[in-house]
Amino acid sequence: MNIEAKEASSFPFVCAWLLLLILVGLSVLSAFQGLALWAAVIEFGIAAFQALIVFLLFMRLKGPPSLKWVFAGTGFFWLIFLYGLSMTDYATRTGWPTK
Amino acid sequence: MPSATLRPETQYATLAQQGEVAQLGMWVFLATETLFFGALIFTYYLYRLSYPEAIAEAAKDAVLWCGSVNIGLLLTSSLTMVLAINAAAQGRRSAATGWLLMTIGLGLCFLGVKGYEYVADYSDHVVPAVNFALKPGESPVSELFWVYYFVATGLHAIHVTTGLGLLIYILWRLRRGRISAAYYAPIEVVGLYWSFVDTVWIFLYPTIYLAGRT
Repeated sequence: MNIEAKEASSFPFVCAWLLLLILVGLSVLSAFQGLALWAAVIEFGIAAFQALIVFLLFMRLKGPPSLKWVFAGTGFFWLIFLYGLSMTDYATRTGWPTK
Repeated sequence: MPSATLRPETQYATLAQQGEVAQLGMWVFLATETLFFGALIFTYYLYRLSYPEAIAEAAKDAVLWCGSVNIGLLLTSSLTMVLAINAAAQGRRSAATGWLLMTIGLGLCFLGVKGYEYVADYSDHVVPAVNFALKPGESPVSELFWVYYFVATGLHAIHVTTGLGLLIYILWRLRRGRISAAYYAPIEVVGLYWSFVDTVWIFLYPTIYLAGRT
């Protein structure tokens, strides 16, 4: 079990929650700036940063046991293959992306 | 069962070891869920790259305030969940019960807003195969966006409902004294699942509600 939870104070979690809400606001703001597809890139980046905060703090990925990094990382490792190989196919198709 | 009588299952030497194995087991499950939702979100980005204008046009009809309220509710529920875990770990059972009840309440509010949104979507004639109607200037591709919308949000809602069931079970265990400062792995494991479901919504939110808002 996680030793950190026994000694944890609420303060860092409340700060992380406020930061997450501010990031939601930034994401909404970027959607209204007329950036077209770049807005999607920025919003995905913000979502990835929010996910990192949730994983590290709320899901306590940074605490013991360190073996859980391997377990948690496996899903993302295979996701890289899924995205990479699929995009290799799509990106080399003639006439893609279509309009 | 009073917490003092808690003993590890026969295959474990200590309660701490049992707790660590439970945590790792949940991470294995979450790795499969990462692939599951990862593939779904990847499908969206393929649609978006293939038909940028049509998808952006269709997404304008998604109810932005519903999605925004719901992301706020889920992020707040992740906070109350982690506070419940901390309280349980410190042996503060009534505080843990209170935070758990808040988490359940926030999860129910999420489903309530989602239900309201589905009714609004039905009235707006955007439900594929049921009452879908193209609006002036929209491409038939827009139906593809709404298929993604209902598959993604429907699967997510099933996960939230499962999470609520698990939270109610944990609440029952907590009230019976079967979760204590000596052994709180069950609430920790359910917390992992709940925060993961929250993370999924973090990624779904921009794909559904923020596309085509300029």
